[in-house]
Amino acid sequence: MNTGRIFGFFAALAALVSTPAMAQREQAVELSGDVMVVKTVTEEGAEPREELVKPDLVVPGDRLVFRTNYRNTSADLVENFVVTNPLHSAVALAPDTPSSQQVSVDGGNTFGTLSELTVTEEDGTSRPAMAYDVTHLRWVLSSLEPGASGQISFYAIVR
Amino acid sequence: MKNAQKIYSVVAAAAFAPLFATPALADGVAAGTLIENTATATYDIGDGPETIDSNTVVLRVDELIDVAVTSLNAGPIATDSGTAVLTYSVTNTGNGPEAYTLTANPAVAGNDFDPTVDGIAIDTNGNGVYDPGVDEILTSPETTAILDPDEELTVFVLLSVPAGTNDEDEAQVELLAEAVTGTGAPGTTFPGEGVDGGDAIVGVNGADDTALGSIIVGIATVDLFKSAVVVDPFGGTSVVPGSIITYTIRADVTGSGTVSDLVITDIIPDDTTYEAGTLTLDTAALTDAADADAGEASDAAGISVDLGEVAGGTSHSITFDVSVD
Repeated sequence: MNTGRIFGFFAALAALVSTPAMAQREQAVELSGDVMVVKTVTEEGAEPREELVKPDLVVPGDRLVFRTNYRNTSADLVENFVVTNPLHSAVALAPDTPSSQQVSVDGGNTFGTLSELTVTEEDGTSRPAMAYDVTHLRWVLSSLEPGASGQISFYAIVR
Repeated sequence: MKNAQKIYSVVAAAAFAPLFATPALADGVAAGTLIENTATATYDIGDGPETIDSNTVVLRVDELIDVAVTSLNAGPIATDSGTAVLTYSVTNTGNGPEAYTLTANPAVAGNDFDPTVDGIAIDTNGNGVYDPGVDEILTSPETTAILDPDEELTVFVLLSVPAGTNDEDEAQVELLAEAVTGTGAPGTTFPGEGVDGGDAIVGVNGADDTALGSIIVGIATVDLFKSAVVVDPFGGTSVVPGSIITYTIRADVTGSGTVSDLVITDIIPDDTTYEAGTLTLDTAALTDAADADAGEASDAAGISVDLGEVAGGTSHSITFDVSVD
């Protein structure tokens, strides 16, 4: 678990520090990601609530949130801003992901909302794509003003 | 936009290909798996398109320890020979390799009697049936080999029935499997005891599980009733030379069990002679010769009828005639 703690530490660090000094290769946009475990806390007399904890301990079935912060660190307008995130095969996209999310179920060749996509089985039959079929996620923003920033995130479950 | 997308797909393909090498498990990612995540952005600025990757976040999947035990016997196992074998399966439902300590408990509440546990054996040859001398009997403390995630092991609990039990007495035997790493409430953590030095965490079953199998005593008893009817040459019932005595032997098998190799024999009384060709079983004639049918008879050797396996609750009648010398 030592390794996991170290990774978690770096991830947290990267998320916290987002000054222009961190910009890589003087590119206009800076991306920094982290991952947290989503714990559902149930207390007597209260609605169950979600709590984000560092991923020190992760086992199958755990719900994770992957977050990516973006910032236009340049003085220029950024256009056609597209973020893509391949999904590791050990995690499945959470079934409660918003239906408008752009996803791919074929390794990133084609994107669409989940309801627009189909999966071809080994026997040649076709079926509607499910959240666990998703291989990539994509977000499309038209433009980023200088200094503009934001965060994209998605939930996934350890298979 | 088009240019940006083209750039993206090349990058994504290169980044994603190695991830497919991770073996996918039926249920549960293997302990020690590293989950890496990198986002990539493409955009147009000033003089052209740019691509940038985020930092890569990595987390390691820890070891979930758990086990499922089920009985593989559809119902109570009948025992009439004093011993019985119950069959269970032990499945590693965790995501890492784990061994399990096995305990058979024959003293289950509600038992009519408590069987004696003679041993716990592993289905070494994998045929699902206990083979004495082939399947390994575990020595104390009975511990399985290390099972891979999802691996299922067939386990036999060898039992004997103590003296003094009655027909149709039932007993349950509980098999307990406990993860060697440790057990406890779900979520209990064993730091550093997981795969590759990661943590091990107890799963929903508590890293132990039990299942009940049951045996039922089937005792069958045989009662023989012999009767005789005499007909004398004069139409009466006196025993005089020339009288024919018809003997009937009724074999009643009672109880819930089965008797096997039941052979009924009788001698021809002194001063009488067997009447050839008069042997019957349940009113059907049997030949006197030792042949394919169940019976044989002769004046010197007497009669013998092989009933083989007879279930409790059935009855057979054998008749034969002798003449008084």
